[in-house]
Amino acid sequence: MTVHAHRAEIRLAGSGGQGLITGMHILFRALAIEGRRAAQSQSYEPTSRGGFCYSDLVVSDESGDYPLATGLDMVAALSQVGLERSLPLIRPGALLIVDERLVPEPPASGFDLHVLPIAARAVEVGSPRIANVVALGALAHLGRLVSEEMLEEAVRLETPPKFADLNLAAVRQGWGLVGARVGVRCLSASCPPMCIG
Amino acid sequence: MTTPSLASLHGNRACALGAIAAGCRFFAGYPITPSSEIAEQMSREMPRANGVFVQMEDEISSLAAVIGASLGGAKAMTATSGPGFSLMQENLGYAAMTETPCVIVNVMRGGPSTGMPTRPSQADIMQARWGTHGDHPVIVVAPASVQEIYDETIRAFNLAEEFRTPVILLYDEVIAHLLESVVLPQRHTVATITRKWATGDETAFLPYAETEDGVPVMARPGGGHRIHVTGLTHTQDGFPTQKPDLAARATQRLLDKIEFNRDRIERVETFDTEDAEIVIVAIGIVARAARRAAQDLRAAGIRAGLFRPITLWPFPEAALREATAKARRVLVPEMNAGQLALEVERILEPDKVARLNRIDGEPIGPGDIVRRIRETAA
Repeated sequence: MTVHAHRAEIRLAGSGGQGLITGMHILFRALAIEGRRAAQSQSYEPTSRGGFCYSDLVVSDESGDYPLATGLDMVAALSQVGLERSLPLIRPGALLIVDERLVPEPPASGFDLHVLPIAARAVEVGSPRIANVVALGALAHLGRLVSEEMLEEAVRLETPPKFADLNLAAVRQGWGLVGARVGVRCLSASCPPMCIG
Repeated sequence: MTTPSLASLHGNRACALGAIAAGCRFFAGYPITPSSEIAEQMSREMPRANGVFVQMEDEISSLAAVIGASLGGAKAMTATSGPGFSLMQENLGYAAMTETPCVIVNVMRGGPSTGMPTRPSQADIMQARWGTHGDHPVIVVAPASVQEIYDETIRAFNLAEEFRTPVILLYDEVIAHLLESVVLPQRHTVATITRKWATGDETAFLPYAETEDGVPVMARPGGGHRIHVTGLTHTQDGFPTQKPDLAARATQRLLDKIEFNRDRIERVETFDTEDAEIVIVAIGIVARAARRAAQDLRAAGIRAGLFRPITLWPFPEAALREATAKARRVLVPEMNAGQLALEVERILEPDKVARLNRIDGEPIGPGDIVRRIRETAA
């Protein structure tokens, strides 16, 4: 499997109805604000109403690059089935975030694993339905994907005004759950090229 | 004032917006996965654009309504997938025979029959060319990105209007539902072409006159120029004939107006083909995989390139020959049991051509192509 320095593949995995597509679209928007091009794809079948579901974002500097996942660099999983169905596509050593309760059996080794109380924080903030946004906050921070400011801006743009405060609280909770991952290339356009942790 | 705007759109939405930018003001269709969002989008956008949206009872009537609207003076479109495209074949021939400009979108799904509605496929490559009976002209364009869906939808309308022929926009489910960053030009900067209208003496008007470019002018409804529209083989006055010389001339002109204008119709993209020992020929999402694969192979010391027919039919033969001149191998990966390969094998030495096919409803990825090339090189 060829590794491409200019390319990053990111997945939100879980079950239908968890808001994975919306969550990923917030990240798409945040990257767009920073001038990065990306392609988003997702499950397209009846399982998007329950069962395994995913949303992928391929970030690439190259226009016309292959827009689907070939080896995932970063994954946040919000269900056991979401993790298991994604495993064959995840690169060894990839950043893997799982919810401590929704993913009771994470892989024992092979990944940069972070077991986080995502769903629990969502409930604390106000609703179990915003676990997607909590996960996104953690993923964006750990993966050094975008600045917190841009992510919050994208949350405002992509969520209904009525729920803006709830979603902003969720993304901040997720961001605060973790620190920036050290030793990985930073995707944020505000960082110098090839910034390493 | 002319600053283009950057939007993130999925492919089917880009198609609808492209159609409106091209001047489409009539849409009739019967929504079908994976093309449904085009009809959905048109149902919202058409009234805003002072156009007409009609949800029809089936796909036969959908294309019939589109043909009627076009003869009535509107730029018109329908959108469907394999099963609906099968039902449209009779009227597709009628549009070709009556030289009625229209655009038909086919977002392909796995088949035959209702097949796999949500899975990607490229199995209508030959149906798009040969699905309707008789010797007929057709133009098929095959975009590979969301941006290109937008741009090629506009071009499809322009080609339909310029050459008075049905144009098929053929793409796969992956790019139909892919969300990508797209540059949308300001509406007034989009170059659009509209059919030539009949002017002058109404009594001497020949609706299917043999003109220099092979494309007759159209009668503007209510403008006084009379037409007779028929699917029967007809002479320049529009009335049926079975006289051998006139019948042959009529059919030949239909074919020639496309054949003699290839330079205005063909469009290809080549990538690293100049020195390529291996050229991959692909369309749609598979072409995106092929480009990635070609780059990975180059990094590994194998000189690979990509030839991508954006105009799929008429197939850009001369451009393919040129792009593969130095190649010792040509690989045709496609999401069907082998259709594009038939055309490539016809044009090139068949022994030079290798195939890669997937019919399991999964897209062909860069890894599949790299593996196949290493296999054929061994």
